[in-house]
Amino acid sequence: MNRKLAPANIVILTAGVVMLIGSFLSFYTFSGFGGTATFSAWSGASGFGIFGIATVAVLCGVVMAAQVGITTFANGVRVPDQVLGLGWDQIHLALGFQAALTMLAFLARSKGTLSFGLGFWFMLLAGIALMVGAIMRVTGSGAHLA
Amino acid sequence: MDGNKSPTPAELTILIAGAVMLVGSFFDFAGSANAWGKYLFPLATLLPLYGVIMALEVGLTKFANMRLPPQVAGFTWEQVHLVLGILAGFMAVGWLITDISHKGFGFWLEVLGGIAIAAGAVSLQRERNTGAIG
Repeated sequence: MNRKLAPANIVILTAGVVMLIGSFLSFYTFSGFGGTATFSAWSGASGFGIFGIATVAVLCGVVMAAQVGITTFANGVRVPDQVLGLGWDQIHLALGFQAALTMLAFLARSKGTLSFGLGFWFMLLAGIALMVGAIMRVTGSGAHLA
Repeated sequence: MDGNKSPTPAELTILIAGAVMLVGSFFDFAGSANAWGKYLFPLATLLPLYGVIMALEVGLTKFANMRLPPQVAGFTWEQVHLVLGILAGFMAVGWLITDISHKGFGFWLEVLGGIAIAAGAVSLQRERNTGAIG
């Protein structure tokens, strides 16, 4: 166990938490018919295709943050060095890439009369930060302090 | 690559699944919109994109004898297949449980292709003895 977090891991841990919190806030907002409705990343049956797709980005962030948190703070918990032949730097890179790409795809997608809510912006920034954190780990930008 | 032009079962799975996902992306995905249409592009396009990358790598190295760089961003091609395949599988399941109405023929081709390509990527690890599986 190593309680000192490297900058790359601080970025990933923070971004993962922000991603999770953002997923419970408003992802899309719809104003019309004399009222306003909000939909989070966990909203099902809204017809906007958020749950299931945005959830993949959330899960990526949670797995990345959990790995960093467990290896840093959890006493006696041993995380395998590799999963399916992939080292954790590679896993972070793959999951960070997926999280960022998914959120950027939501940004680029035509949303019609919907507006992005605070939760979406949290998740978008967190997705990009996860990717940046993963790149920092791979390139060694601050990865050796942990 | 061993120079044998006959694709292995895993490679064949990846080739077919990638082609099915590409073709499926032009059929109705949700309502009357395909994966390249308004409200779906580029979100629904990621799935066929992953499939096409994987199928292209297999096709180019197997049939065109093209020599690609051994690694991409620190990943061997087997690892690229594994990562993209698993992510494609997750996205396919994600689309499967999402709440879009009127799931079209293209939707089902993409979802089934995504699951098949994940299976192909896992199987490829065994065939090439990467040690990633078992």
